[in-house]
Amino acid sequence: MLNSRRLACATIVAASIASGVMAQDVVRIASPNKVTVLDPIASAAAGNIEAFGQLYARLLRRDTSGALQPALAESWTVSKDGLTYTFELHDAKFSDGTDITAQDVAFSLNRVAKDEASSYPAAFVPVKAFTAIDDDTVELTLEYPSAPMLSYMEIFNAGIVSMDDVQARGDEAFLTTPVSSGPFMVEVWKPNDRLILKANPYYWREGYPKVAGAELIEISDDNTRGSMIMAGEIDANRGVPFAQVDEMNANDGVTVPLEPSTLIYEIMPNHAVAPFDNINVRKAAAMALHREAMVKAMTLGKAVVANSTLPNALTYYAADVAAPSYDPAAARALLEAEGALGAEVTLMVTPQFEQAATLLKAQWDAAGFKTSVERVDPGLWWDRLTKGEYQVTVNWWYNETEDPDLAVRWAVCGTCGNKSYYTNYNNEEVNAMVEAALREQDDTKRSAIYGEIQRISTEELAQIPLYYPPFANAYSTRIKGLTLTPSLQWTLEEAEFVE
Amino acid sequence: MKSLRFIVSRMLQSVPVLFGVSIVTFLLMIATPGDPIRLLVGVRASEETIALIRDRYGLDDPILSQYFTYLGNLLQGDLGASLRFKVPVSDLVGQFYPVTLFLVVYSIILILPPVVVLSVWSAKRPNGLADQVIRVLGVMGLAIPVFWMALLLARFFGVTLGWFPVSGFGDTFIEHLHHLFLPALSTAIWVIPILTRNLRSALLDEMNRDYVLAGMSKGLGEAQVFRTHVFPNSVLPTLNLFAVIVAYLLGGSVIVETVYAVPGMGKLMVDSILARDYFVVQGATLVFALTTIVVMLAVDLISGLIDPRINT
Repeated sequence: MLNSRRLACATIVAASIASGVMAQDVVRIASPNKVTVLDPIASAAAGNIEAFGQLYARLLRRDTSGALQPALAESWTVSKDGLTYTFELHDAKFSDGTDITAQDVAFSLNRVAKDEASSYPAAFVPVKAFTAIDDDTVELTLEYPSAPMLSYMEIFNAGIVSMDDVQARGDEAFLTTPVSSGPFMVEVWKPNDRLILKANPYYWREGYPKVAGAELIEISDDNTRGSMIMAGEIDANRGVPFAQVDEMNANDGVTVPLEPSTLIYEIMPNHAVAPFDNINVRKAAAMALHREAMVKAMTLGKAVVANSTLPNALTYYAADVAAPSYDPAAARALLEAEGALGAEVTLMVTPQFEQAATLLKAQWDAAGFKTSVERVDPGLWWDRLTKGEYQVTVNWWYNETEDPDLAVRWAVCGTCGNKSYYTNYNNEEVNAMVEAALREQDDTKRSAIYGEIQRISTEELAQIPLYYPPFANAYSTRIKGLTLTPSLQWTLEEAEFVE
Repeated sequence: MKSLRFIVSRMLQSVPVLFGVSIVTFLLMIATPGDPIRLLVGVRASEETIALIRDRYGLDDPILSQYFTYLGNLLQGDLGASLRFKVPVSDLVGQFYPVTLFLVVYSIILILPPVVVLSVWSAKRPNGLADQVIRVLGVMGLAIPVFWMALLLARFFGVTLGWFPVSGFGDTFIEHLHHLFLPALSTAIWVIPILTRNLRSALLDEMNRDYVLAGMSKGLGEAQVFRTHVFPNSVLPTLNLFAVIVAYLLGGSVIVETVYAVPGMGKLMVDSILARDYFVVQGATLVFALTTIVVMLAVDLISGLIDPRINT
């Protein structure tokens, strides 16, 4: 009796181990970024952005080279004045088998642009309306021209949702299993744990996705994700610390390609409070820093030292602007001249910037600041930042598209809603140029305006640029075709298992 | 009947305790700066959008009215809903609590047999070779930080040898046992030495009591004296310490759950605190408090069985 029971147990164990090596058809991605909502207009947090792209198809898409391609819209025309866009839709269906019509498209995009709860409508501010002309034609009218408008039809919150479903179920529509238009649909969502996706059989791109499903698993600890990919329990690890890149690469079956990103890390002085309201003090703070050495220490040489207030992956990025270079003696002299020698500054950091804080404090103190470090959790960080209750801090940001419009609105525009990433940098000339550049249809002129914006904001040290890091994600060699695009989208529909 | 009355009276006593816990948690949460809506909606949202959504969630109501609304719902058995996921807190607790409970019970199963064997073995020959070795190993187990031990075990048994999964919970009972082995082991490694030391010294104390000598002089064998008298008398203090540790494990499973990516209450609690998901934190705290009360009650009942002199 005992023996037969033991045998049964052993068989089950063996079977459960064996099932782990059976042909795998679901891509498992572990990420520290959490999925908290499934409504594409409800959040612009990284974990959600990464999920939205899998659930909701957009009018346009980017191919592997980054070029814009037709997606739900098979063709489009733009009027001469740049105020009217007409999109012809592809025949396509939602995951419940119903047709994706022009009404759905107009409804979804008007929601992003006009709904007061839309979390990130910045790209759609010029929109007058999206209108369904007939079942297959959508017309977009603008209040004023927007040069990057076409590329905004591809960003994460421009996904198409089912009008019938949202109107029938209201907010409930997104709670568990929304009707999806993208390559995947929700199989099960376990909040605070994982989002399990399965291929959408009605996806408009025939033959895609190539895998049966995907799991987006929340794993906050870097070491745990590292163990998981080395043990073969996941296929992609979103976010390998630079210190672990070589260890991962040395492991059979795991690679860490450093992929281009639109990320920028920077020091953020609060322009509204002393001492960083003084441009010379900001200059002294920049000159006190050996940024090349810092970047080498913080990223083990895997990132590029930043020279501009904008990411280097953006169109019209200005390679010829530069923040003041390292000169601690001149920094001290500058502080002395301003009567700011020994100025007390409090550097607010979240746990991920512990090393940066040490480096900054040492260099600033050597140049004549008196730095104290204040450690806060991300929730408190955002609270203090948005209220302007800080002197200086460090953080990163990224841009959704390669066009710099959203980037300048976010980082250096004082009147675009976010007070220059809440640093309170506010230069009226820059603000005016931000609006002018959006409306400018001539490429050369746009380039010149964005060059000028970068020159001024870098000279005035709206923020002190630190570095442009690549994405360091680890991938199992079992899969190919999976990457994270600069706009934070997994190319999951292209991914497939090798074998 | 008597013990039934005892149980009922203890449960009644727990009501004010839970009430107090809810007030303290609520005060702590509202005193913690940070805006759940900002964290939910993302960094790019404008102040106007944030304000609008705050209002929709009722977070702009006066604090006292928020608390009374919460309390009113609580009295009807409604723990409220998560700000982030809009699902009932009870669903989340139902999803994460069994995982932690499984982990704790599994840890207890790994902990108890070695504790009994090692402490008896140590106490048989105090300061003998076995005693010395067990003590040194115990100090090592206590001295190594849990997160580090957990990481080492994951890298060695999970990555290098591939014997055990390094993450997750699995879908079947056997898979649960397989997935949670390393987490349970990591927990056992620091709990076993504590209990072993405690039980060993209790055993030594009892073995030197007069009743042992008396029993032997009446012709009882050493083994029988030990089994029927010394051991039961020694177990009580360890049992009480054990209860405290079990209550601690239920709430303090955060570290092993993080290192092994176990989707349990520790993860739910930490993520909810970081996201300022007030009602989930409240609900989880109440569940922890209730569990602690139940564990303590169970230990008191068991103590009463072992030693009827303990007034039940």
